[in-house]
Amino acid sequence: MSGNTILEARQLTRRFAGLVAVNDVSFTLSQGEILGFIGPNGAGKTTLISLLSGTLAPTEGEVWFDGQRIDRMAAFRRARLGIGRTFQIMQPFPGLSVLDNVAVGALFGRGQGQSKLSLARESARECLQFVGLGKHIDSRAEDLGGPDRKRLELAKALAMQPRVLLCDEVMAGLNLVEIDEVIDVIRKVRDTGISIIVIEHVIKAIRSLSDRVMVLHHGEKIADGTPDSVLTDSRVVEAYLGKKRS
Amino acid sequence: MDLLLQVLVNGILQGGLYAIMALGLALVWGVLNIVNLAHGAFIMLGAYISWYSFTWLGLDPFLGLPLTAVLMFFVGYAIQRGILNLVARAPMFNTLLITFGLEVVLTYLAQLVFSADFRTINPSYSGRNITVMGLTIPTVRLAASGVAILLTLIMWRFLLHTRLGRAIRATAQNLSAARLYGVEPRHLYAVTFGLGLALAGAAGGLYGTVSQINPYIGATLTAKCFAIAIIGGLDTPLGVIAGGVVLGLIESLATLYIGPTFADVASFGVLVAVLIVRPSGLLGRTA
Amino acid sequence: MKALRIPLLLLVLVALALLPLYGSDTIIQFGISTLLLAVLAQGWNIIGGYAGYSSFGNSTFFGLGAYGVGIAMVQWHLPFAAGLLFGVVLAVVFAICLGIPVLRLKGHYFAIATLALAQVMAAIVSNIELAGQNIGLVLPPLNNDPLFYELSLGLLVLATLTVWWLTRSRFGFGLIAIRENEEGAVVMGVDTTRYKVMAFTLAGLFSALAGGIQAYWITFLDPASAFDITLNVKMIIMAVFGGPGTILGPIIGSFILSAISEFLSSEVTSIAGLFFGVVIVIAVVLTPRGLADVARRFRRSGWRYFIENIRMHRL
Repeated sequence: MSGNTILEARQLTRRFAGLVAVNDVSFTLSQGEILGFIGPNGAGKTTLISLLSGTLAPTEGEVWFDGQRIDRMAAFRRARLGIGRTFQIMQPFPGLSVLDNVAVGALFGRGQGQSKLSLARESARECLQFVGLGKHIDSRAEDLGGPDRKRLELAKALAMQPRVLLCDEVMAGLNLVEIDEVIDVIRKVRDTGISIIVIEHVIKAIRSLSDRVMVLHHGEKIADGTPDSVLTDSRVVEAYLGKKRS
Repeated sequence: MDLLLQVLVNGILQGGLYAIMALGLALVWGVLNIVNLAHGAFIMLGAYISWYSFTWLGLDPFLGLPLTAVLMFFVGYAIQRGILNLVARAPMFNTLLITFGLEVVLTYLAQLVFSADFRTINPSYSGRNITVMGLTIPTVRLAASGVAILLTLIMWRFLLHTRLGRAIRATAQNLSAARLYGVEPRHLYAVTFGLGLALAGAAGGLYGTVSQINPYIGATLTAKCFAIAIIGGLDTPLGVIAGGVVLGLIESLATLYIGPTFADVASFGVLVAVLIVRPSGLLGRTA
Repeated sequence: MKALRIPLLLLVLVALALLPLYGSDTIIQFGISTLLLAVLAQGWNIIGGYAGYSSFGNSTFFGLGAYGVGIAMVQWHLPFAAGLLFGVVLAVVFAICLGIPVLRLKGHYFAIATLALAQVMAAIVSNIELAGQNIGLVLPPLNNDPLFYELSLGLLVLATLTVWWLTRSRFGFGLIAIRENEEGAVVMGVDTTRYKVMAFTLAGLFSALAGGIQAYWITFLDPASAFDITLNVKMIIMAVFGGPGTILGPIIGSFILSAISEFLSSEVTSIAGLFFGVVIVIAVVLTPRGLADVARRFRRSGWRYFIENIRMHRL
């Protein structure tokens, strides 16, 4: 799928006292594309997402969003520009209802954000229906079970009207049926015009969702291409399974 | 130049005293995760116990330190067992509130029982100085700092090398594992808090020999002890000594170059600066 | 039941406003103190209850407000209103300048830093000549307790309306999001730094106004009484006991705790303070989650509620 580049990383590097978590990673995300990130645990995937969303600042390198350089920009500003993010460890606002959790996204998201509470809540309602949480609108966020919490994370991000969505291990801990459901939701999200980066360990999901896949290992990009080509790449296999004994 | 040297020496001596003042706080904070906002008030209590021992029993403040420490230990044990243990598993904020409440109680009690007069402990040798290289060092101050550092090192050795010390550290790191080893947490917590207050009491006794005491010194001392604990880090007693000396030097230098009030402002400023830049303290890992 | 709430509140408000007509002098004085404490609690509620940043140093703003009025009226011969304004300006400047660095700290570090700040204020002010140094300032007397009472009541209403506005505004939502999950709030677009500083400033503003009223009422101020540290624990326990993050909680908390403290004590101020400390300790042990929780669970568990609380939180 070709199109304009909406998000670009150039030679992103992030060091923590002595440890290089992300090392000289460059890639592009095109408008309307779903890009998968895979790699063994500790490969630096979440750090890379944090560099994109602004939670962390890069030691070196640049991040470009829609023609604008954003790596020095505060995280909340990037959110308002249109970068949404879900967290690996789901973090709702526990004291708020499910509806209000999502309403926060509508209130502070892209552009001006809704300043009227009632309008924000209406947008929130729509987002919740979209991800399939319609019947839980008035529940307390902390009462939701695992799979529903994932949907809530997605709904919160969607309410911000993002142009890019960064999903960090949304499928973790889900059974096969639930994984299929989330795959459907993510496809629906892309169909609305949002470009998506998906970090996943579930290979099946990556294969069916992604237009392209990027592989990280020890903080470096070791492969970048179509799912099939990447998943059969010997370097990738080696990274996951260790060197083949000859 | 001489003046600067004198000020530096004063600062270091004061630092030794500060170290023992903050040690009890650091112990309880690092081990029990109890942020004791009443710590200064307990130092004040220790100072009064020493004063009364001196005035009624003629007990020299230095020789009487063990008495003060033992009394305060029992006070600490009782408070932890009877009150603080009750909120040990509640959010930290509750501990902050309770200890703040205790501070209020202690200050008002002290005001009632001891009255608001300023007092000092003045043993016969309190006016004497020794002169070294043109510097004047009050004997009492030197003795106080020396005892303070000694106690701190003893504490360090205790925590690292005795069975009880190791049990305390183990409990701090892993409560359930400690239980498996037959440690009774309620008792151990109470012992630890008792130790913390014993140190506070000893610090108070020493404090009383070099400064005036009144019921209201608690709050200021608490703030200073926090500054020391945070600057030095909570990991080792060595950190507390370093923190104490740093604070003592900052205050002396600030007093010399800017003015007496700004000693407090300077220490507050350093506290906030350290919190922002390096919350684990200059020497420590995590607080 | 809910429909009755507003008329009931208005009734209580009117009854309170008319107190000077039927209350004794002592009651009116008790009223002023309690109302001012309630304002402090409500102010704390904004930064501590809604934003989740438990400041242990709002007494700083109270003192700044007091000295604002004191300096303006005594040294510059300005009217009371100008003094209040000056106090507010001082508080706002302080809140912004100190808030920005200090609000970056979390949890108990923030508490310690604000406490240290409160600690230092008395010492700093006692060296400022304009503020009368250690001797303090004596303000022109105004013997009109009912006026101060109505002023305090009005201030409390203002503070409470502000909190009510919070709960229906984007700003308030942002604060709650910060409290519940600050990192989550950031990635959803909340400008957390700005919002925290704004909440801190609001709390400071109300505290300063309360301090200004108190200064003029008592006619005298000195560093120790204006920057009284115990105010912090009082306002916090009142807000937390009554219900942090609620509109009426801090008011209920301050009324009840003040009444209990007054009931338990004699006229001697030191004993009142002592009992307050004891009440605090008992309240934290027995009702760690405040009155709202008591109201909810007492119906189910009865007196066992308190024992359950202890059992849940004890070692």
